[in-house]
Amino acid sequence: VRCQQYPPLRALQASAALRAASDEHKKEPWASSPQQHFESPPAGQQPEEKPQGPHPSYTGQGGQESEDYESEEQLQHRILTAALEFVPEHGWTAEAIAEGAKTLGLSVAAAGLFHSAGSELILHFVSDCNTKLSELLKKEQKLVQLGEAEKKPIDEFLRDAVEARLRMLIPYIEKWPQALSVLLLPRNIPSSLNLLTSMIDDIWHYAGDQSTEFNWYTRRAVLTAIYNTTELVMMQDSSPGFEDTWRFLENRVADAMTMSNTATQVQSTGEAVVQGLMGAAVTVSNAATSRAVR
Amino acid sequence: VYQVFENVAKKYDVMNDSMTLGIHRVWKDILVHKMNPCPGTLLLDVAGGTGDIAFRFINYVRSVRQRQLQRKLKHHQNLSWQEIFESYQNNKFNNSLGDSQVVVCDINREMLKVGKQKAQHLGYSEGLSWVLGNAEELPFDDDKFDVYTIAFGIRNVTRIDLALQEAYRVLKPGGRFLCLEFSHVSNPLLSRLYDLYSFQVIPVLGEVIAGDWRSYQYLVESIRQFPPQEELKAMIEDAGFFKVDYENLNFGIVAIHSGFKL
Repeated sequence: VRCQQYPPLRALQASAALRAASDEHKKEPWASSPQQHFESPPAGQQPEEKPQGPHPSYTGQGGQESEDYESEEQLQHRILTAALEFVPEHGWTAEAIAEGAKTLGLSVAAAGLFHSAGSELILHFVSDCNTKLSELLKKEQKLVQLGEAEKKPIDEFLRDAVEARLRMLIPYIEKWPQALSVLLLPRNIPSSLNLLTSMIDDIWHYAGDQSTEFNWYTRRAVLTAIYNTTELVMMQDSSPGFEDTWRFLENRVADAMTMSNTATQVQSTGEAVVQGLMGAAVTVSNAATSRAVR
Repeated sequence: VYQVFENVAKKYDVMNDSMTLGIHRVWKDILVHKMNPCPGTLLLDVAGGTGDIAFRFINYVRSVRQRQLQRKLKHHQNLSWQEIFESYQNNKFNNSLGDSQVVVCDINREMLKVGKQKAQHLGYSEGLSWVLGNAEELPFDDDKFDVYTIAFGIRNVTRIDLALQEAYRVLKPGGRFLCLEFSHVSNPLLSRLYDLYSFQVIPVLGEVIAGDWRSYQYLVESIRQFPPQEELKAMIEDAGFFKVDYENLNFGIVAIHSGFKL
């Protein structure tokens, strides 16, 4: 499953690097990190197949099974997507995957295809959401280019992008705190951090180079803080249609805009990031314990 | 092969314990944990004779089922009376195994008899079936089982490729093949110690405990003749299984091979 996520993300980063010519040297460290994660499979397991074409021994099989024509990763992808439907009931577990496999006509034992069932399911979901977000942003950009839509001011753009991405969590909101705590497990942090940073990269890429006061790292840090804190607020939000969350988001984005106009913006960004992370850690642990009790 | 196991059947479990110093229980536990069955799984345990894997499977599924029911009960505290009534109608609370079933298949009647007695003695009544059959020609229809296990049995099959093909046949699409077997130790020092233990100690234990030196000599030799991990993996792939993988336990003394029918 992990192999499939990286090619589209690397392509995006490559095109983004071409645009931000002055920032190109800064993009390099990030572009190489997905490569590192791919090359270091978890210890004690067989190395996973490479994404370039199916494993040689499988091409020799006869054409009885339709699965010959799709690689294993595609099948795993399909199973995980089918499993998402059962997450509200079973949580992010192997059981949800087993139910998903059943709907595809496979035996429940197919859940054994995934070594760490819950983590893989969550990572798959997050990468799926990120892909959907970039498609959405790309479509909007095309409309602007064709002159069919107005170009949004930067704060409205950021707000809409974060809101669209967070709305994808709504069907799974009950079990999302569980997912967040799994994503924070040490073995998952490389992948989850990677997905998060590429999503933030994406949003800034489509936002365009409007705000020249920010430097590249600050932009990322600010938006990451906004996204994470809004996500946590959403976990605890019980207002109709999550209005409280969107209002919170609006305020944070407005804060970020005003911050950019002050001379001390770099320092306060650092502080904002630290505060955001501390608040994040405390809130997640509270949420996890409160959900566990429930 | 048949006669070896006829002699061995009654003392099988005792011999297993003494030969492997009880570690075989851990190996079998690891196998079932790797399987991670959920309630509703249909398991075929081939060459499962005295039922070790079957009993572990039932225990595992029973505890998973308990947890599921507990969660449902907690959830039910928020439901309306109508919904609770409907779920009672569906008998969701009655089945402690959640429709899971094990079919234990063995070529040897004596082993099955010992297994049945053990089941009665330990109190396993539901979800178990005992069938006489040959691994190379299973008396079952196609696409029937979710999981096929063969623990320490594939070594004794004359045509392993036939057994693998049969396994492929009776498994449902998406089904899993799991094989627990003695395998090749790669570490040279451990290999020497292992050889020493196998050829000197085991037949002697066989004579002392079961009164049968020759069967255990056969056992140890068949272990040496068995194909090593990579070769078995290739054979499993040839039978049509995907994502074939093996996990060495105890440095290769035992290996669990896993494959999926996709």
